[in-house]
Amino acid sequence: MDTTFIAYSALGIGLIGTLWRIGRWFRLPIGAECQPPTLTGLWSQTARAVGRAVFGPRVTRLAKALVWEVLLQGHVLRQDWRRGIMHLGLFYGFFFLVIFHALDEFTSARLWGDYAPTLNPWRLLRNLAAALILLGVAFAALRRRSDPLLRATRHMADQLALALLAIIVFSGILLESHQIVSPEMFRTMVAEYAFIEDDAEFEALQAYWQAEFGAATTAPPKTGADTLALGRDLHADFCAACHDGPQSALLSYPLSRLMKPLANALEKANFDTLLWHLHFLVSCLGLALLPFTKFFHLVATPLSLLVRAGGTAADADAGLRPVRRAMGLDACTHCGVCNQHCAVAVIYRAIPNPAILPSEKLGALMRWISGATGTQCVSLAEGSFICTACGRCTQWCPSGIDLQDLWRASQRELVQKGYPSAHGWIRSHRPAQWAARAATIPSASAKAAGAPATLDLSANPETFWSCVQCTTCTSVCPVVAVSDDPRRDLDLTPQQVMNMMRLQLRELALGARMVWDCATCYQCQEHCPQGVRVADILYELRNEAHQRLKPDYPLGAPDEIVSKA
Amino acid sequence: MSKHRDITCQLLVIGAGMAGMAASLFAARRGIDTVQVGLGGTIPFASGLLDLLGVYPVPAGQILTDPWEGMARLRRVSPAHPYTRIGNQDMQAAWRQCLGFLAEAGQPYVSQAERNMQVITPVGTVKTTYAVPHTMAAADDALVRRPPCLLVDFAGLKGFSARQIAATLGASWPDLRAVRLAVPRMQGELQPERLGRFLENGEHCRQIAATIHRRLDGARAVGLPAVVGVHRTRPNFEAMQQILGVPLFEIPTLLPSVPGLRLRETFEQHLPRLGVRAWYQHRVTAVEARRANEFRIGIGRDADGFRARTQAVILATGRFFGKGLHADRTAIRETLFDLPVDQPPQRDEWHHKDLLHPAGHAINRAGLAVDDCFRPVDVNGRRVYARLFAAGSILAHQDWVREKSGSGLAIGSAYAAVRACERLLG
Repeated sequence: MDTTFIAYSALGIGLIGTLWRIGRWFRLPIGAECQPPTLTGLWSQTARAVGRAVFGPRVTRLAKALVWEVLLQGHVLRQDWRRGIMHLGLFYGFFFLVIFHALDEFTSARLWGDYAPTLNPWRLLRNLAAALILLGVAFAALRRRSDPLLRATRHMADQLALALLAIIVFSGILLESHQIVSPEMFRTMVAEYAFIEDDAEFEALQAYWQAEFGAATTAPPKTGADTLALGRDLHADFCAACHDGPQSALLSYPLSRLMKPLANALEKANFDTLLWHLHFLVSCLGLALLPFTKFFHLVATPLSLLVRAGGTAADADAGLRPVRRAMGLDACTHCGVCNQHCAVAVIYRAIPNPAILPSEKLGALMRWISGATGTQCVSLAEGSFICTACGRCTQWCPSGIDLQDLWRASQRELVQKGYPSAHGWIRSHRPAQWAARAATIPSASAKAAGAPATLDLSANPETFWSCVQCTTCTSVCPVVAVSDDPRRDLDLTPQQVMNMMRLQLRELALGARMVWDCATCYQCQEHCPQGVRVADILYELRNEAHQRLKPDYPLGAPDEIVSKA
Repeated sequence: MSKHRDITCQLLVIGAGMAGMAASLFAARRGIDTVQVGLGGTIPFASGLLDLLGVYPVPAGQILTDPWEGMARLRRVSPAHPYTRIGNQDMQAAWRQCLGFLAEAGQPYVSQAERNMQVITPVGTVKTTYAVPHTMAAADDALVRRPPCLLVDFAGLKGFSARQIAATLGASWPDLRAVRLAVPRMQGELQPERLGRFLENGEHCRQIAATIHRRLDGARAVGLPAVVGVHRTRPNFEAMQQILGVPLFEIPTLLPSVPGLRLRETFEQHLPRLGVRAWYQHRVTAVEARRANEFRIGIGRDADGFRARTQAVILATGRFFGKGLHADRTAIRETLFDLPVDQPPQRDEWHHKDLLHPAGHAINRAGLAVDDCFRPVDVNGRRVYARLFAAGSILAHQDWVREKSGSGLAIGSAYAAVRACERLLG
């Protein structure tokens, strides 16, 4: 098949795919605050926002973000210089090769009249770029292995992107090193470009190339000062315009030394054709897959960084926030930095639900928006409501995604669609109703279900038998203090919860909002004159209720829940 | 393992009740390098009134007008009573220093040198005490003159009924009226502390005073629960009094009480200012007596422990509620040093058969027997450690609840112990 056709097809697929994905930003309804606006309305809003950013007073910030974050990636370097250098290597190596090597017909050849890929500095630069990429790929692969959290969240997509890059670059290097030693290549080039009069001249040129450039031959080479001098003259006449020493090829030349003994055998196996096709086809594949793999971050992430420079999501037009969120989903490079700084990532060790981790929650969110149901939604809800909204993921995200805003929006939607937090569903019934329900679910079954071991404070009378109901815990409780009417807002006060324990009415406390609204500040426990572990007991009751009373998702609409109660 | 480095000091006071606080105060005033450790949960379980001696002799239940006269009789009859080991001069000096400190810290107390004072209780009885918070001083006068008086309570405040007080006292108090006020934005059950924190806000106090003022109807005195602020009591109380234009007094509430809370927070805030290195909310985890003049005391919460090396210790750990003493099926023990506890030989002698017997129970008089320097002694009267002192309710041969002598015991014995300690430290 015609290679041009293949190349243009790949380009076409890549372009159409990119447009499709960008178009999706305007169609994904992620937490639409206002009613879904018309597409044209969204477009004009976007155009206005872009206009304001580019022609407004914030343009200096945009410029700064473009130079410092997109081009120099200084924010990544500042977070972790090793990761920064790795990514800079990948980034600049990749762009150099795409622009000045893959597209050299349109760039290098036009800009520099004497351009030839086999001349320096091009050969050197190409090899340098390849080395940067290979080192970057190796570092990235190692990084994913070294950190346990990154290892646990490794995806095929991460491997695929790295593998594609590695295959393209390595096949290129292999091809070049083969060409350095290939006798057939030499013959073809001589036949095409050199006016050689006889075999002696051919052999002289070949001898010169073998001596100077390390080329391989089919026959044993001639030697002698005269022959080499003749060869040098011929080289100067016919070859030097496009060729100088391949020794500058940092990677290919040493590799070609290894391949030299095999040169003839590889020749016979059509190795160069094979390699060339591999190099070309995988490059085209990469181009075609750009919108559908992690490579798409090349488009989305710079935009995301620029958008962040324009202000937080809260500053944006309400109508544009969903667009921004959808773009954020695409800008994620799955680098895992958010997970490393997430305040609740440690919970993942106890509850192996990946949706607790920001990077994985992002994926779960994507699947949810694409229509996932059932257990996937339940685990997304669980992960979402474990988040404490500390904001560190947003602060650290090297792609500039306003993750905090995404979580806020998705939490709201989860509640609306019947996947509320535990604090939400516990309000669907009164404590007495929960007690009735708990009576049908013995606590032993919860234990048998592999629940994490608890302290078992509430079951042990020694824990609370010294309680004298003095109300100190209630008096110091900030949750009680903030309520105008604790009986209405909390059902029971802390000291009343302790009394339920004493009266063996533990089930009545499971659904009490005091238990669920406890801020675990431990004031009660620290002030208790009798050393009752009040806060620990409340915490344990909450865990027990969570295990025993889990509802069937999805719950009805919020209005329904209220009316049921 | 340890967050804090080990420390050294001259004196370690164990306990953050009235006796511990007073001991730290006296030691700091004498320039002794003092560390104090204690959980500090029990002062709010006192009313905030400071007793010296209200009843003597106990079996007769005779209420004392002059505590000093009662004390003189007590000393003649009970040589083992802690009061017998504290001279009048020391006792007076102790009170002066203690009340001076409280006044300086913004929580002044009022006392009459030669006689006890009286306050109204939340059930309408009259209680005899020695020093009262300035907010209760007007009750003493009102009880004498019995002018037309309005008693206020708050909807939801448990265990406090102005109507009940009026009904009880009304027989001997011609114009005693009761009114119940709703506290804005506070529904349901109310604890004194919550109200106290609410009335920390001067604006809330002025609003309530204005409401009461509209209901005065000729009353010449106003009583209300003791909840007027915890820290800003004085300005808030004075503002209310100004709006009302008649004498205003607080009436003690159920426990934990706000006046108790004021006491605790005053001590906790101001003792460190005097140089006491305080570890409140910490407990003693281990004790070790080394040689004659060194104790090593482990201090900590759960895991973050450290050690204090001290030359002397004052034990003010209280009785059973304070956890200085522990009673099991066979005996009463001192919980930290396992000191000999003076107690009835048999458990069935701990209590009188009649629960409400006016003479009280033998267990109430159990505790640490001490020498004249307030150092615990064993059954043979030999001191256990040369530099270990005891103060407060943990002492034997007293029944502070029935004698109404809790604060006097704490303050007086702390003073005597600190003085002896200073002498021994040289």
